Amino acid sequence: MIEKVLKKVDVPFPLYQIDIINSDDEMLKAISDELGLSLSVDEMRRIKEYFIAKGRNPYDIELQALGQAWSEHCCYKSSKYYLKQFIFNIESEYVISAIKEDAGVVEFDEDHAYVVAFESHNHPSAIEPYGGAATGIGGILRDVVCMGAKPVALIDPLFFGKPDFPHSVLPKGTKHPLYLLSGVVAGIRDYGNRVGIPTVSGMIFFDNSYLTNCLVNVGCIGIAKKSNIVPSRAGGEDDIFILAGGLTGRDGIHGVTFASAELKETSEEESRGAVQLGNPIIKEPLIHACLEVIEKKLITGMKDLGGGGLSCAVGEMALAAGFGARVFLDRVPLKEPDMAPWEIWVSESQERMMITAKPEMVDEVLYVFEKWDVPATVVGEVKAEKTLEVYYKDFKVYDMDIEFVTSGPEYCRSYLPKKVEVKGEERINPPKDYLRVFKDMLQHPNVASREWVIRQYDHQVRASTILRPLQGRINRETHGDSAIIKPTESWRGLAITADVNPWMTKIDPFWGTASSFDEMIRNLIAVNSKPHSFVDCLNFGNPEKPERMGEFVESVKAMGWMARGINLPCVSGNVSFYNETPHSAVAPTPTLLGIGIIEDIRNAITSYFKRVGSSIVLVGETEAEFGGSVYSAVTGQKSYLVPRTSPERLKTYSDAMLESFKEFKVLACHDISGGGLAIAIAEMCFGKGLGAEIDLRGIAGDAHVKLFSESNTRWIVELPEEDAQGFIAFLMERGCRAFEIGCVSKDSISFNDSNIAFEMGVSEAEELWRNGLSRYVV
Amino acid sequence: MEPRIAVLRIEGTNCEDETVKALKAAGAFAEAVHLKQFYSDMIKESEKRKITDYTGIVIPGGFSAGDYVRAGAIFSARMKSVLKRDLEEFINNDFPILGICNGFQVLVELGALPGFEDKLSEKPEIVLAINNSNRFECRMSYLRHENRGKCMFTKGLDNRVVVYPVAHAEGKVVFPKGMEGIYIDRLVENDQIVFRYVDENGDYAGYPWNPNGSIYNIAGICNAKGNVLGLMPHPERVMHEWSYLDCEWSPEGHGDGWIIFKNMVDYIEKL
Repeated sequence: MIEKVLKKVDVPFPLYQIDIINSDDEMLKAISDELGLSLSVDEMRRIKEYFIAKGRNPYDIELQALGQAWSEHCCYKSSKYYLKQFIFNIESEYVISAIKEDAGVVEFDEDHAYVVAFESHNHPSAIEPYGGAATGIGGILRDVVCMGAKPVALIDPLFFGKPDFPHSVLPKGTKHPLYLLSGVVAGIRDYGNRVGIPTVSGMIFFDNSYLTNCLVNVGCIGIAKKSNIVPSRAGGEDDIFILAGGLTGRDGIHGVTFASAELKETSEEESRGAVQLGNPIIKEPLIHACLEVIEKKLITGMKDLGGGGLSCAVGEMALAAGFGARVFLDRVPLKEPDMAPWEIWVSESQERMMITAKPEMVDEVLYVFEKWDVPATVVGEVKAEKTLEVYYKDFKVYDMDIEFVTSGPEYCRSYLPKKVEVKGEERINPPKDYLRVFKDMLQHPNVASREWVIRQYDHQVRASTILRPLQGRINRETHGDSAIIKPTESWRGLAITADVNPWMTKIDPFWGTASSFDEMIRNLIAVNSKPHSFVDCLNFGNPEKPERMGEFVESVKAMGWMARGINLPCVSGNVSFYNETPHSAVAPTPTLLGIGIIEDIRNAITSYFKRVGSSIVLVGETEAEFGGSVYSAVTGQKSYLVPRTSPERLKTYSDAMLESFKEFKVLACHDISGGGLAIAIAEMCFGKGLGAEIDLRGIAGDAHVKLFSESNTRWIVELPEEDAQGFIAFLMERGCRAFEIGCVSKDSISFNDSNIAFEMGVSEAEELWRNGLSRYVV
Repeated sequence: MEPRIAVLRIEGTNCEDETVKALKAAGAFAEAVHLKQFYSDMIKESEKRKITDYTGIVIPGGFSAGDYVRAGAIFSARMKSVLKRDLEEFINNDFPILGICNGFQVLVELGALPGFEDKLSEKPEIVLAINNSNRFECRMSYLRHENRGKCMFTKGLDNRVVVYPVAHAEGKVVFPKGMEGIYIDRLVENDQIVFRYVDENGDYAGYPWNPNGSIYNIAGICNAKGNVLGLMPHPERVMHEWSYLDCEWSPEGHGDGWIIFKNMVDYIEKL
């Protein structure tokens, strides 16, 4: 219907002028829809007013640029209001840059900073799992490299529908969870391994709310000399824009607008072009070349071309510096020669970086890129006036004020807080057969060994991985709590963990998020690191629906409450809305990536039992809290009581634990999470094939609560027998509770309480746990 | 002679930094050198290099040129086209060459290994084929040192078992069909077998101890002269005692990988 407002401009290339000045609301809507802008009528009206004031109609490239800049993905229009209110500005003197740039920058030691970024690549991965996940890795690496940092670790939390979901009832247009899992893991593997950055942490979670919207979150941590940190902005007037990296093609057009709408049955056919193609063998030298021009101080600014392509990168780099820019689009090296100017401008082709440099440095910059066989081209210049002009074959195709383009709307969307069903005192029954429940838990896909995935990632390249995700006997390891990387020559290390519990957030977004935060801190403490910062990747449904917005607001509120309470700064993050189809919306999934500092990596604590006869101590308080638990899943009992926590309690325990590690020879430490105490003990046994004799009679309460509840702020600690009582007294003096619950033994895991007792051979239990996930995959 | 060691890189090699570090820790002068620095006209004078600038070469791990063809095939083809003579001379003049993981694949494709003769073989005689598991795998592996003294990189290891990590998709040693016995006999006779995969008790065993399905559990071999070593596992990743903090293995003093680089440096110093 918009043909009548489209006018081909008389130039020797495809360019249209669109008559929006004379368009009514209906036509404005049609323009947005048919050009794929994903803008609302209100937003279109604002554009119309702008062009009325300018006295002319926009070209297609100008409308496309606004569609990119004002997308949810680029300007966070639905989330910013709440993020500002709850999460931003947690004061910390060691944060160098939070939120403002492509990645967070935090002091590591006197000379170094670590750089961290975390993003979702959900929609592309649902359509094309291999390419979507691979380019997710590519994008997050660029976010870290463009700050001047060398990437040292990758982190990949993944969420899929249940692995045994029957093919016959898959919703139309949906790919099977196992197909998605294999594709996504292969994509991460082939990209991450090829660029030579270790994948050291992550998670895999199965729940049918992810059936039509799998989630692929990717995080990256880098290390930089503080003096090498590069801003994502131009240095000054007359600086030259240099585009480096891969060629620009039609892949990835409308990636951000596609990511800012719900997926539907036909998304595959319509949006395949929005999924970019990755090439790690351009990326690997691109990283080297970028780091070389930074090390040699040849450049003034650098920004990766991610969502929105050139359109977003040029504008943001110029505006952040307080300038404007002039760009010559016909200089951009293309994959396909017949691309229209607007396509070049918004393409999200991978492996590209925008650099600004002083004119006298340009030749030297180009030499470095040529040496690495990476194409690099001068495409524009910085100018004083704050407007952005784009030329194509000497014709000005774009002329707008940068402040207008980048002043995306911000909404305070209405929301409905979720009503959590609590029916008085909740009664969760003990199981008929404890051993059966224990076995079902061990082989549950959300509990079982992740070895099948972890081994496909090179987690040791760069030779700086100190604690790997798998720990214990060679070839028969167990899970660790956090990975540790030693990024510099000093003994100081970075502990890394990724956590969220979607079963809990689904029932109760507030307490579920608080629990996820608690788990993140527990994992950092368990390896003997001090929690230092965190980033979030917030995956939710359609924010235009008040109940979805309610989930988001509750979740962000909880995160802010916990983070502020223990004074942990949030240094970067990403919001991914519209993870929703007519079939379902994803469980609220605020994935958290936690970073801790360990002063001396030689004091790192691993998760598995070391020697027969040593004492096993439970630290923390156990309540009947089964909401979102593995126990409620395997016994089929509905529970709404998601575990509670508080920042005060978490801080008291965390500080006491870290202090105790200095005083006592702790042999192993593991946090208690999915499956409760019973599963934590079992995982600690598997690392070295040792057993455990657990006696819970010294603790009040029901056996099934003590064994399977997932109460927060708890750990299992192994200590030499003679130290156990001293350790417990040490914790009690600091206001914590701790109980000696047994000892490490040889061949079997046994649990005893006043009314119940059950036992299982370690190797038999281990086999269930090892095959729980791998039985579904080849 | 002075140990001046080049760690060769092209696009996709990705273990050069830690390899340079390992060599420096063992006392060498070492630098990562892009293959282009040996031949390309566009390289600035200050960055140009010749093979004769060095007394040792390491080809590091990674995915050179993406390994989209056969692993190591493109890197070795490029080396052959510009450096074939130089490399043959380098080897014949007793200078050492070490190939780790992708570097082993490159040495095989190059015809430098098994290296029965004193020139590069025309065609590869070994293939490092895709793992039996059909996928990339990263794990620690136990290796028994079985060289009787020919390999200069492993002097002093005797019959010890060491632990190095493996991380590869294509590491299965395969000989020409029907000739397997002949090749193995010849390698054993020449004392060219260096490392073989074993289990935690030091016995030869199948998967996962032999992580890729290599014939005769071969993890690393040297040439007939003993100055070229190729191995799939990564010694540069286990240079320190604390490289094993998270697993059940206690090295003696340094990490198990250290001795390879130390021997390389000592050997060059005596040349």
